[in-house]
Amino acid sequence: MFDFGFALSIIPAIGKALTTTLAVTLLSCIFAALLGFGLEITRRSSQPMRYAMRFVIDFIRSTPVLVQLYFLYYVLPVYGIKLPALVVGVAALSIYYCGYLAEVFKAGIDGIARGQFEAAKALGLGRFQTVILVIAPQMLRNIAAPMGSYFISIFKSTPYLAVIAVPESFGSALDIASDTFRYGEPLAVVGAIFLAIAVGFSWLIHRFEARLALPSR
Amino acid sequence: MTFAEVLAGIFEGFRVTALVTLLGMLYAVPFAFIAGVAQYSARGWPHAAITALIEFWRSSPVIILLYAFYYTLPGFGLRLSGLTVGAMVLGLNIGAYGSQAVRAALQALDRGQVEAGRSIGLRRWQILLLIELPQALLAMMPTFINQFIQLVKGTALVSLITLSDMTFRAKEISQLHYDPVKVYTGLLVAYFIICYPATVVGRWLERKVGAGRKLVHDV
Repeated sequence: MFDFGFALSIIPAIGKALTTTLAVTLLSCIFAALLGFGLEITRRSSQPMRYAMRFVIDFIRSTPVLVQLYFLYYVLPVYGIKLPALVVGVAALSIYYCGYLAEVFKAGIDGIARGQFEAAKALGLGRFQTVILVIAPQMLRNIAAPMGSYFISIFKSTPYLAVIAVPESFGSALDIASDTFRYGEPLAVVGAIFLAIAVGFSWLIHRFEARLALPSR
Repeated sequence: MTFAEVLAGIFEGFRVTALVTLLGMLYAVPFAFIAGVAQYSARGWPHAAITALIEFWRSSPVIILLYAFYYTLPGFGLRLSGLTVGAMVLGLNIGAYGSQAVRAALQALDRGQVEAGRSIGLRRWQILLLIELPQALLAMMPTFINQFIQLVKGTALVSLITLSDMTFRAKEISQLHYDPVKVYTGLLVAYFIICYPATVVGRWLERKVGAGRKLVHDV
């Protein structure tokens, strides 16, 4: 049956691996957002790019993250690209979620009033300046909530990295399980940690969203 | 092995992928509707209890729940097959996200609809069943399609609890004939063939309906 003493004793080990989990989450969030924003801006640059980028985004969205992870992990070395599992893991999560974030950015940019683009042009701003100074700040206000949900999803996807032996929390829980032949406690502990962080983070986003909201007109 | 042979080998696992998806839907759809409607109409502690349940299924990583249910339940004398565990965990996770689409669609309806129902003497459940749900259904569709895609993609995880789905088949083929490039490209293509049509339909519906767009989700 469930042994509370044992459950408590493994918290430090799993907690230590949590550093890796959080680092992976943070890096993947940053890269996914940058990649997604790049994809979305490229999609808006010309007609052929619109179709090309839409296909790229749809392809990424239509295949499982686990499969993309396997693909990067097993295929890259064949071409002589040997990367540490951690890097492959962050790359896989960033690529998978950039497809979703591109769509979020799309909605965010579509939500900005046309006049803003015209005003930027009237001020003589270039394309790059318009994107960074006018579009991005306004877009962020529109998309804080959905972007936050995807960041939580990235956090919840980090256990996938256990399958390629990245030493994150879920992997360390599985290690403890296979060493001690007790699955219940390690899985319950790691599950509870993930649940607590995900719920806490979603509460924070909620508060943040409320603060960002424009006063209703 | 040629690419076509690899692809054919991978599709041998399609039966399991389809079965988990189908059974997963049997958990997801009822859970989405019951939990969504309950969260919409309940007050006080029942509302808090339902919200907690939804939050549990939404916020726990699916892969951890799969392992937890598959490896620890037998210790409590409950032995479920990998298929049951896979379908239940994936289904309830997707259903929890779906419940938010149901709730949001109901909340977005014009209050006058409920008043109109009351004024012609309908009871609360009749208003919900005959007036609110049918109108909300359209608004939920894009999210439901997206959730369906998430479910199909999520089934790749059952390979980790030893069900021989497409992903599992791919790993077998890769171990047998060492050719990761063909195998994993094939696997990406296989999932793309299955999910892409739904992605297109989902995007088209999103444009048509617009509502429920802020709801995001996934496995």
